[in-house]
Amino acid sequence: MSTDLAIILSFLLPTVAGLSTALTGRWPNARDSLTVLWGVLTFGTVLTLLPVVNAGGRPGLVLWEVLEGLPIAFEVEPLGMLFALVASGLWIVTSVYAFGYMRGHHEENQTRFFSYFPLAITAALGIAYARNLFTLFLFYEMLTFSTYPLVTHHQNATAQRAGRIYLGILVSTSVLFLFTAIVWTYAIAGTTEFTVGGVLAGKASGWPVAVLAGLYFFGIGKAALMPFHRWLPNAMVAPTPVSALLHAVAVVKAGVFSVLKIVIYIFGIDFLAAGSYSEWLMWVAGFTLLSSSVVALKQDNLKARLAYSTISQLAYIVLAAAIATGDSVVGGGMHIAMHAMAKITLFFAAGAIMVATHKTEISDMDGIGRTMPITMTAFFIASLSIMGLPPTGGAWSKWYLALGAAETGQYLFVAVYMISSLLSIAYLGPIIGRAFFRPPRADSHHPLPEGMKEAHWLMVVPLSLTAIGTVVLFFFANNVHDLLAPIAIGG
Amino acid sequence: MIQQFPVLVVVAPLVAAPITLLIRNRRLTHLWAMAVAWFTLFVSANLLHEVLTTGPISYQLGGWAPPWGIEYRVDTVNAFVMVIVAMIASVVIPAMPTRIRLDLAPERMYLFYTATLLFIAGLMGITVTGDAFNVFVFLEITSLASYTLIGLGAGRRAPLAAFSYLVMGTIGGTFVLIGIGLMYQMTGSLNMADLAVLLPGVQHTRTIMVAFAFITTGVSIKLGVFPLHQWLPKAYTYAPDLVSALMSATATKVIFYLLVRMIFTVFGATFVFGVLHLDWLLLPLSLIGMFVASLAAIYQTNIKRLLAYSSIAQIGYMTLGLSMVSVAGLTGSLVHLFNHALMKAGLFMVVASIFYRLATHEIADMRGLGRRMPLTFAAWVVGGLSMIGVPGTVGFISKWYLVLAAIEKGWIGIALLIVLSSLLALVYVWRVIDVAYFQSPPEGQADRIEAPPILLIPTWILVGATVFFGINTTWTVGVAEAAARQLLGVMP
Amino acid sequence: MSEEPKAPMKVREMVVLRVTAKMLIPFILLYALYVQFHGDFGPGGGFQAGVITAAGLILYGLVFGLDQLKRAVPQRVLEITLAIGLLMYGGTGWVTLLLGGNFLEYGYLAQHHPVHGQHYGIAMIEGGVGVGVASGLLVIYYALAGRGRR
Repeated sequence: MSTDLAIILSFLLPTVAGLSTALTGRWPNARDSLTVLWGVLTFGTVLTLLPVVNAGGRPGLVLWEVLEGLPIAFEVEPLGMLFALVASGLWIVTSVYAFGYMRGHHEENQTRFFSYFPLAITAALGIAYARNLFTLFLFYEMLTFSTYPLVTHHQNATAQRAGRIYLGILVSTSVLFLFTAIVWTYAIAGTTEFTVGGVLAGKASGWPVAVLAGLYFFGIGKAALMPFHRWLPNAMVAPTPVSALLHAVAVVKAGVFSVLKIVIYIFGIDFLAAGSYSEWLMWVAGFTLLSSSVVALKQDNLKARLAYSTISQLAYIVLAAAIATGDSVVGGGMHIAMHAMAKITLFFAAGAIMVATHKTEISDMDGIGRTMPITMTAFFIASLSIMGLPPTGGAWSKWYLALGAAETGQYLFVAVYMISSLLSIAYLGPIIGRAFFRPPRADSHHPLPEGMKEAHWLMVVPLSLTAIGTVVLFFFANNVHDLLAPIAIGG
Repeated sequence: MIQQFPVLVVVAPLVAAPITLLIRNRRLTHLWAMAVAWFTLFVSANLLHEVLTTGPISYQLGGWAPPWGIEYRVDTVNAFVMVIVAMIASVVIPAMPTRIRLDLAPERMYLFYTATLLFIAGLMGITVTGDAFNVFVFLEITSLASYTLIGLGAGRRAPLAAFSYLVMGTIGGTFVLIGIGLMYQMTGSLNMADLAVLLPGVQHTRTIMVAFAFITTGVSIKLGVFPLHQWLPKAYTYAPDLVSALMSATATKVIFYLLVRMIFTVFGATFVFGVLHLDWLLLPLSLIGMFVASLAAIYQTNIKRLLAYSSIAQIGYMTLGLSMVSVAGLTGSLVHLFNHALMKAGLFMVVASIFYRLATHEIADMRGLGRRMPLTFAAWVVGGLSMIGVPGTVGFISKWYLVLAAIEKGWIGIALLIVLSSLLALVYVWRVIDVAYFQSPPEGQADRIEAPPILLIPTWILVGATVFFGINTTWTVGVAEAAARQLLGVMP
Repeated sequence: MSEEPKAPMKVREMVVLRVTAKMLIPFILLYALYVQFHGDFGPGGGFQAGVITAAGLILYGLVFGLDQLKRAVPQRVLEITLAIGLLMYGGTGWVTLLLGGNFLEYGYLAQHHPVHGQHYGIAMIEGGVGVGVASGLLVIYYALAGRGRR
């Protein structure tokens, strides 16, 4: 398969999946099987690009020139390759999980749900492959609007409110800051192409660059940098598969991916680090990192706690981007994959618990480890990865992140990384402790049944697979690192 | 025949209007008006093509040479505007028979088409003519036709709205006439190209400054520039829906063109901006207008009034681009003429569809309509996204140029204000979406009531075009940029 | 206007007025025609002629009543003559277009004598203006005088 065809197909297939879902809505079994089929095909297509990129190739194509110097164009570079693999790969697992969840939970409007879901994947792949800021922005907004119906799926007052916040923050930040930053970049550099070594070096200096960096970092609201993080906890009203794939993987990772990509290919890490333009952003990211971990401690709702944990983990990557050294950006890139695999497992588990026992609050989950051993074991393994402990993938990405900070003498931020890891033990550990070591509560509204009662196998299998995935990533971290290595020297 | 095209765009609808009086039959007059609109589109598209390939065309009415005779002069700028007008008319007129709730008996529908054709003829006349007095004549034809059209709206308030527009419009028209008279007094010429040559010699006289003030103010009243916009919300709200669609998409565009023509061709940018510093006034007014009108739009309960206030804000975008006096800014303004025509006409068509089914303009009555009229409301969503300026729609293109122009000038603050005001569009567009999709329809009204194809097809043509021209900008931006360069006298 | 004025004598019953009007109106219309055709050589023309025609007819309406006038000149006819007036003007322009000239370039109306063409053209459009203006004014008069009657 030629690379052009592969790129086009990897967009087309999820879109086709959305259409086929809308058309086959009357036959749920056909609809769901087809979705998985499209998912596998998409992932396969994306996978064919991997050897090319690994060999140093940068496959790409120009689709259409919208304005002079602003084409819709794609180019697959290592970071985008990784993100595309993560998004499309986990989509398959999530689809399977979603069938179990949506049916087990008797959700309404499933056809609409499964129609918009693939569109979000199309958008995520578009972001991954974008060759310039304009294309990135196009798909970034597409991702926002295609996930809106998913977030507001229940169409009640809570969903409406959450939807307003979701759209309000994501669109405001992107239109207000990101758009302005893109136009500004275009005005300075005359291009928005992602270029090895950046496009700004030598064309701008001083405070405008620092402001520009701020516009980009805050403008990418999907990276959930404080104070623009509130949409993420609110988005948790969505059905769990959405929280799992979109708000642990596709949407938020699109955010941090964009931040990394802009730092590497628009500013250029050397340029950014040399001028200390992003130093003030390190403080913002560091603050976000720690404070959201602390907030996570206080959450009793499991999905809310995971959401704040996500904000904190995203800030790891944003901080890495702000530090802007070779190792830190590679670490950030690796963390995209590592955290995605772990966090999706945690959300899968949260959804499985909700479907099987109707429990949503952590204080209500005493003894659940005995009722749902497989789910909770997976939860435990994934938690290890979030904490950054071996034998899970999270250990490696955190290693590189800390290394990057140490290289530049930012020992304070090395400490921030470490403290946050400790905090993650504090907010995830008790859940596991309660689940396995405490007896079930008698006063619960949803008493635990006798004996084992796992959720539907369509949910258990995916979450087991992703839990195994976190361990696999520990042993194959080298492959991820090698894939990303070129970005350390600027692409 | 092509050398006769400049006059055909005007006289085709002008002569067609009395013919509708003779035809009288409701169906036949509709077909006739449609045919004329399409013919006008064909002619103006040909003109644009001709102008782009061979340069400006000068046409001498009656064979009398300018500056004594009336000259029709077509260049990139007005050919572009004529295409906009003809295009919108061609799409909106086919849907007109659905306007059954006019305050007009069906057997008198032909009068509606007569007024519409006169309206188009007047707009085409303002656009194509190279003669300042001729501008006034066509301005009055347009205005008279539009008073009639607005007055035909359902309900007792329509005539009142028409009257309030009549008062303001007459003041505006008179101001323009006074200005033209003063210029004639000083130069002895009415031909725009001739005036452009003669004015610099007398431009420092008080008479010319007063003339400029009268013309600018008069045109601004007609355009609805903040704070001279009071008539506009009333007129757009109470006019028949399709008239609002037609007017918002064509009349404001042509009047804006007139402003551009007066400033850049007749008076000259150096005089207007270098000596009189119109930008010092226009820039803040545009910005304030963008915010005040958008905020006002947010608080409206009537969907047409919401769109009317949004139009005032959009006019602010256009005058803002103009007052930046750069190629990027003017390109943004001109391309926004086209883009806003598409999206606003599309949104008003959605309103017309809703009114056709529910006979209401209140947003609160649209509960659950998202499920009852899915295609119509999908059109609202797409058109709304374009108002917000989401990439992939025309709104993005306009905003790109305006923000680029501000940043090129080093005005980061103004750039941020522009995008901030476009965010207000998110609020007022989404208010309707919230009601339509999140609230359940009233008891016992859950059936599907999708609009008929005669409304749905034009709506989607317009809305589809907002996406198409958001991705393919060869025509729109290409032409607008050429026009901007021509106006500013910058060679590419 | 729905109520007749309670004057000592109704306007329609004033013999002097009725007789004078009957005598004057034909002359007014004749004068209108003179102004119409004199427009070629001196002051005057279609607009003035149209106004004078309308004035004569409006006088008839004032004295003998709107209904009487409407019977003589029905509104429907006026709509048609209004259209015809405009069409005579526009049509002349179209004819010159079709004959190969510019819009309203009268010289093309007579093949070999441009000056004759000028004559024909002016006569045609002035005629159009006359008919149009007269009909237009009468329509306005009907609309104003007829208010509240329906």
